[in-house]
This record gives sequence, C-alpha cells and structure tokens, in this order.
Amino acid sequence: MNLLLRWSVEKLKREKIFLLSLFLGLFLVAFVVITLGNMFYQQAEDVDGLIAVALDPVVLKAIGVSLSMALVSTLIAFLFGVPLAYFLARKELWGKSIIEGIVDVPLMIPHIVAGIALYGVFMRYGLIGAPLRRLGFVITDAYPGIVIAMLFMSFPYLVNSAREGFKGVDPRLENVARSLGASHWRTFREITFPLAFPSLLNGAILSWGRAISEFSAVLVLAYYPISAPILIYEKFTSFGLRASRPVSVLLISVCLVIFVVLRVLHRRSK
Amino acid sequence: MERRKILLALGILMVVLACIPVVVFYTHLVEVQEPKTVKVFHAGSLSVPFEEAERQFEALHSNVNVQRESYGSVEAIRQITEVGKSGDVLGSADFALIPNMMYPEFADWYVRFATNDIVLAYNSEMSHYTDEITPENWYEILRRDGVTFGFSNPNLDPCGYRSVMVCKLAELRYNDARIFEDLILKNTAITVSEEDGTYVIQTPEQLEPNTGKVTIRPKEVDLTALIEAGGLDYYFIYRSVAVQHGLSFVDLPDEIDLSKVEYADTYKKVKLQTAEGNTKTGKPIVYGITVPTNAENPKLGLEFVRFVIGESGQKIFADNGQPPIVPPVGSGNVPEELKSLVQLEPGESTPTPGTTPPPTSTPTPEEPGFEVICAITGLMGVAYLVLRGR
Amino acid sequence: MIEVKGLYKDWKEFALKDITLQVKKEEYFVILGPTGAGKTLLLETIAGFYIPDKGEVRIEGRDVTSVPPERRRIGFIYQDYSIFPHLTVEQNIVFGLKLKKSSSPDTNRKRVKEIMAWLSISHLAHRYPPALSGGEQQKVAIARAIAIEPSILLLDEPLSALDLRTKDYLREELKRVKEEFGITMVHVTHDQTEALILADRIAVMMHGRIVQVGTPYEIFNKPLTDEIADFVGVENILHGVVRSNEEGIAEIEVDTGTILAVSEYRAGDVKVCIRPEEIILSESRGESSARNVMRGRIKELHDMGPLTRVKMDTGLVALITKQSRENLRLRRGDEVYATFKATAVHVVR
Repeated sequence: MNLLLRWSVEKLKREKIFLLSLFLGLFLVAFVVITLGNMFYQQAEDVDGLIAVALDPVVLKAIGVSLSMALVSTLIAFLFGVPLAYFLARKELWGKSIIEGIVDVPLMIPHIVAGIALYGVFMRYGLIGAPLRRLGFVITDAYPGIVIAMLFMSFPYLVNSAREGFKGVDPRLENVARSLGASHWRTFREITFPLAFPSLLNGAILSWGRAISEFSAVLVLAYYPISAPILIYEKFTSFGLRASRPVSVLLISVCLVIFVVLRVLHRRSK
Repeated sequence: MERRKILLALGILMVVLACIPVVVFYTHLVEVQEPKTVKVFHAGSLSVPFEEAERQFEALHSNVNVQRESYGSVEAIRQITEVGKSGDVLGSADFALIPNMMYPEFADWYVRFATNDIVLAYNSEMSHYTDEITPENWYEILRRDGVTFGFSNPNLDPCGYRSVMVCKLAELRYNDARIFEDLILKNTAITVSEEDGTYVIQTPEQLEPNTGKVTIRPKEVDLTALIEAGGLDYYFIYRSVAVQHGLSFVDLPDEIDLSKVEYADTYKKVKLQTAEGNTKTGKPIVYGITVPTNAENPKLGLEFVRFVIGESGQKIFADNGQPPIVPPVGSGNVPEELKSLVQLEPGESTPTPGTTPPPTSTPTPEEPGFEVICAITGLMGVAYLVLRGR
Repeated sequence: MIEVKGLYKDWKEFALKDITLQVKKEEYFVILGPTGAGKTLLLETIAGFYIPDKGEVRIEGRDVTSVPPERRRIGFIYQDYSIFPHLTVEQNIVFGLKLKKSSSPDTNRKRVKEIMAWLSISHLAHRYPPALSGGEQQKVAIARAIAIEPSILLLDEPLSALDLRTKDYLREELKRVKEEFGITMVHVTHDQTEALILADRIAVMMHGRIVQVGTPYEIFNKPLTDEIADFVGVENILHGVVRSNEEGIAEIEVDTGTILAVSEYRAGDVKVCIRPEEIILSESRGESSARNVMRGRIKELHDMGPLTRVKMDTGLVALITKQSRENLRLRRGDEVYATFKATAVHVVR
C-alpha cells in the first residue's frame, strides 16, 4: 500500500501534466467541499437540531421516500434504458440521432416545464392517466407520481452512460462468442452485459443521484407523499434555514455514504 | 518539449489571472454608466401587474433594469431576512407580513396599495358540474364524490390560509355548520377550535391531505397549472390570478371572500395558526410594498414604489383584477418622497428614531475578491517556480 | 469444404462484389489482399456475422446463408485475439464447450486440459487475458476455437499484431493445428510471406473482388495483372536443399550454386525467398559484407519508371534504381555479380 502510494507520487512527479491537471481539478473539488463544508460547519453549531431531525419520523420517512422512489425509478430506467442503449450502440439506422436527441431532451428542459407536461399526461384525464385511473392506479400525489417525475428527469444519464459502455465492448467479442455456439441472447448475457456492466452501474448511480435531487417536477406531479427535497423546501419556507438545513445535512450525509460505497463497488466491478 | 508546453500553459494562465484584478478595477470605474438594477422580490400574485409595471418603468428610465423574483410572500421575505439577499423592493400579498417579519431590522415602513379577493376558479371545459355551480351552492358541489378541489399550503402561502378561512366563513354565511368539516377537516390534518365566537384554525406542518379529494401545492401558481391542465376541478385563488389566466370562477359573496373593508369585523372571526406558530387573522386582502433596509439601490427602489402606487400603477392593477387603494395608505417611517402620494395611517405609531435603530449602513464585510485573486496568482507563481526549478 | 457463390455485400466503406470461391476439405486456404480490400468482411460473412445482400454460402454442402453463426460450427480468430477479458484463460477455452448439448463439466475439463497442454499454455489456465502477451493470447484464442472441434477455422490476420519471433512460432502452430485436427483453414492476410509459407492455395482479393486463385507458385510467379504483380511483389523463389547449419547460418544448395541464409533448418528440402530489392548488382566481385555472391548474365531489362527490373539467367530477379543502372551501363548479355546478405534470405519449407 505504502509502496503503491510512493509509486504513484513518484509517477505524478514525473508526469507533470497530471500534476497540473490535479492542481486545476482540485478547484472543482474545492468548490463542492467549501460549499457543503460551510453548510455542515454551520450545522455543527446546532448538533441538537440535527439529532432532533434525525429522530423525526416525518423527516426519516421523507428521506426514505426519496431514496426508495429514486431506486425504483433507476430500476425502471435500467430495465428499459439498457436495451435502448444497446440498440443505440450497435445499430445504425435512419433517425438514430433523432432518438438520441429525444433521449437527451429531459436534460435540457426546465424541470418545472417537464413537471407540468408530465402532469398533463398522467393526471386523471390525461392521455395515460385516464386509462390508468380506470384500472385503479392514481399517479398524481401518490408514489407513482414521484417515480414518474424522477424517471423522466434522470433516465438520460443511465441511457447515455450505458450506450457508451456498450460501444466500448468490441463487437468482435460478440462475434467470437457466437462462432463458439452462443446464441445472440446468451452472448449478450455472458459477454456484452458483464463487460459493459461498470458503465451501466455508473449510469445507474448518476441516474439515482439525479432522481433523489429532483424537486420541481416532483412538486408539480406529486407534492405528497412528501419526499426529502420538498420537505426541505417546506421547512425553509415555513420555518427558515434553521429548520431546513439539518434535513439537508442529513440527506446529503446519507447520500454521500451510499455514493461512496457504490463508487467503491463500481471500481471493483471494473 | 513537453515541459516547455506545460510551462507555457502555466504562464498564460498566470497572465490571465493577473489581468483579472485590472479588469475588475476598470469595470468598477465604468460601472457608473452601466444600467442600474432594481431587485424586486414579490408574491406570486403580483407577477402579472409587476411585469407590466417593470415594462413601463423601464421605458421611463432607460438606464434601469428591473429584476423580479417571484415567491410566496413569506418566502419572498425570507429571501431577504434569512438567505441574506438584498432587495430594493418587496411586495407582499399580505401587508401585515412586513411589520411582522421584517420590522425593525429589514424594513420600517410599508404602503398598502391594492386589494384582492378569493374566488373559486375552475376549468370551464374540463371541471365537473360547472354548469350547476353558483355562489350559493358551490360548497355542495365541492362535497360531491369525484369532485376535487385545491388550495395552496396555508403554512407557506397567504392565499392558502385565506382559502381555508373562506371555508370557515362560509359556514356563517350559509348557515351550514358542516361545510368546514366536510371540505377541510375530513380531508386534511387541519383542526379548528372555538373561543367566544372566534374560530382558531390550526394547520400542522404535515397537512396529510386526502390526495384523492384535496390537492395542496406550495404556491397558488402551482395549482393554476393543474387547473389549466384539467387535473383539478376547483381551487381557491385570488381573483387577480383567475382574471389574468382567463379562468372562469365563482365570485364568492363579499361576506366570505375577504374583499371588503366593510366586512372586516366578520372576517376577523376566523383566525388561523400556522405550523410556525404565527396567528393570522381574517381580514381584507391588502397588498403591502416596502423598500428593505438592505437595498443596494434604495433610491431606485423607492422610485419603483412611487410608480407602482402612482396613477400608472393604479391603472395596471385595476386592469388585472387587483383593485388599487386610492389613495394608498402608508404606515411606519414612510420616506419623504412618498408622503405626497399616500395617506398616512392615523393612530399607528410612527417608529421614532429613539425606539427603532435608524437604518444604519450595516458594515459590509470587506470584499475578499482582490485578496483571493492575489492568493491564486501567488500560488500559481509558486507552482511555476517549483516546476521550473526541476 | 466451403463454397461461396456470387456473394455481394455492402457494409460501411467496404463491399464484396460477386465473390465465388471453393475451399477444399482440409485445405490451408489464404486470402491475400491489401488493406481495405474487404477480406475481413468476406470472412465475417462466411462466418455468418453478416447476412449477404446476394449470393450463397455452403459449408460441407449445406446452404448456411441464413443460418445464424452459432449453428455453423466455424471457429473464428481475430487479429486482436478477442479473448473475453472478464474470464480466465480456462473459462475462455471452456466457453464454447459448455454450450454443447453433449457437454459435462468433467469431459469439458479434460478436453480443456488436453488442448492447453497441446498448445503449452497449461500454466496460464487461471490468468486473466490482460496479463498475457500477444502470442499467449493468440494461442488461447486458437485453443478456444479448436475446443469446439470445428470443421472450419477462419483466421482474420491472426499473426499481424505479433513480433517476428512469435509470428514464426505461431505460424508453425497453425500448421500443426491443421495437420493434427484436419481442420479446413481460411486465413486472411496482407502479408505475402505469410501467404507463401502457409498456403496450399491463395486467393488474391482486391477492391472487393477475388482477382486470382492459385498455388503460391502461380500467384507469385505468374500474377495475372500488373496490379497483382505490384502487390505480391515478384519474389525470387528457389528450391533448395539444406546441406549444413552452423550457428544458425544454413548452407543451402540450389540449382545455380550455394546460398547462405539465417535459418534454423538443419536439413531437408526448403524454399528460398529473396526480395528483388535486396539484391545488389555490381560489375566486379568486389569487397562486401554480403555473404552471397552469384555470377550471372542479364537476360532481360525491364523499365519500370524509377526502377528497373533485371532478370538474370540464374533465375534471380533484381530491382535496381535508374541511377545505378546508368552507373553500371547495364545491357542485355552483360555479366554481373548479384550480392545479397544472408539475413535477406528467407527460408521456408
């Protein structure tokens, strides 16, 4: 370990471009650390407030709702996004860049606009909301609403990352597997999927994180059941920073732990 | 070769960074001729008339750029009092919030300049039973199965607590003691108690609405989108919003719609305690405006207020379903520039210099910009020397 | 046996135009052509990775044009080895075996062991591909392909990414594979020497077409067109017998004399190849570090722009520049000395 560290320092010294890129890159890291550090520091003066929040069932439920609904959203994005990404990575057809453009659209439109558009489709008389309602599913102001808003805003991260992952798998590996007697489906399962998996996981992590942070679209579609960003917003509006900050700190801490664990897994999977 | 390129890149970076202080210095000099900005924080329900006011005001003052930010009234005030943004104008949908939340540190006067009232708006194409609804039976319609209605969050938005008050006042007007229970109590965690003929409504932090019947959103504007989409049948909303969005609405009786000063005593019978613990009393809806003490451009802010409460402003508000108060009523330490335009409120004590600290210029911390740039340049210089030394 | 009839395929910037071929059973068939000729596309179409626009592919008499690759029983080897990077060497080799209906873990393990031993890669069994050298990876690819006992092995530039020594070594391994397992080999390359050494027959492919099919001797000595001649480079191919070998320098007896060459062969019949541009002509024997000097008369002088092709009565062909032609004032019938280094001589069996 020690040796490895020394080796990398030596190497960095020799490769000055990396020294420079590390030096410049640290500005961005510092950007995040200073911003969040300041917030955590201010919260450190009010540990009691943080503990109270950490024990508040309403807060815990909101954070739970955010994490779990984001997970559901990511799983759905995975289920539908991975096949789409595979197709986009492997097949050339007319209009492919249109499909790719459409996939990117949610990244560009203001979230509130997306929320209102989603509401128009999923509300009780909406194009999709109406038939679902007849089947007994209510989307607005319910868990499915949260998932749909999160899904819409976050799936492009997964699809784009997965597509690059699949592109990185040499099609010749697939050819060889097939020449060895593996069906196309089996080739995908045993060769393509495992090789692209680090990218898929990366996309899923991005998508999940983006889903947790989604506020505006969720607010329009499903203000209730209350999810963490909405609770933070409410606390800020009715009680001010003192009430909203500990919730933010708690949410960020929980997410940070999960993200770091996932990143470690991600590195392992490579 | 490689090294030379890196050093060159570093050198260029240093030159660029070194230029920044110079540029900053000169832009400071030039700034005098740059357009001035008036920062306006206001309630969502003031968006439309203020937008028009902005347009006209900017036409009058070629060198001025009005920047508006729209929030719920409470939130707008918090942008100044808690987030620490500086605003040149603050417009609240409830004038009382200004003395309650901003006095004395962030404001010491306000002007009441326009009114509004609560109506029950709907989507004439998609809402249920619109052909049946009248000012006399609206609560019956709202009670029906399958009819949904909404209001904004009483804890976050004055329009929200006013909507809840309207439902309580309706019991008195229509002589039906179950209206509030059927519409609000059954569908939310809101509670009510009675003391000597006054009703106190409590809105807990978690409203727990029955989402199949009642839709709650933080701001009235959020609900408007839902009504326009047709997902919601009815909602309580300011007349102004209904007018500006071209929505059809039920014009509720004066006794309950919080519009008329004549019914102030009736309105007063309903109070509402928000989750924060603030008690709101039913009263006519009156907009208040002020220039916060932390304004960066207080002169221009005042100029904008003069415009809004003046003749042109009054016309804008009349056109937008928010009848202006003529003449506007001032309260507190109203600046000299406005005194000619407003009628000073009698009886209310004007804060004297003795009781309220004069709006001192709070010592602004020295701007760290220059030092930071020097530090970065220094660091770069050290890095450069270290690399060159090798 | 492979038969390809009237095959057409357009794919990206490559195209196959009216390809008709017959590869005989247990033949080592080399498709030789410049980069971009469509060789890989042809091989991949035979393997079934692409469906042809027109034409048909038959394997062992069966029409497989619309049969998916996994049911064609064809081994495929790429230039960049294409070892599954997430599997160990052993897992790579057993990959195809596991998919066979008749397989069982025990027989599979036994078979993998045999193959690894046969190719001397047993010690690599549990390593992951990124830790292997190019040559080792290619051996794994070969092992993996032959594990499923294919009747046909398709090789796409299998030796091009390897260093010279490994290339020589693996070339022998490929020959061994063909002889041991009786597999029909179709080998694509742009390397003339490789084709010459390995091929029973060669098909020259250019611009998406097969332009000549024949034995190596036919291809190299009787190219049908100038373009083919230009590409294959007319080689001096002499038949000879190794007489002795001292410290890696073989003495080879050919019809017109003795040639010294760098070679491991100690005895037996060989082919001796010398590229024409390696041969230097001079008027006198002179002092030279070159080990081989052959005297002969000029039979033909052929002007080729900046170069001149000189054919001598000894059967050697030399390429010289215009400059040296003028300096030497070469004319038909002149007697000259052809000198070339021992290292310029390529000896193959």
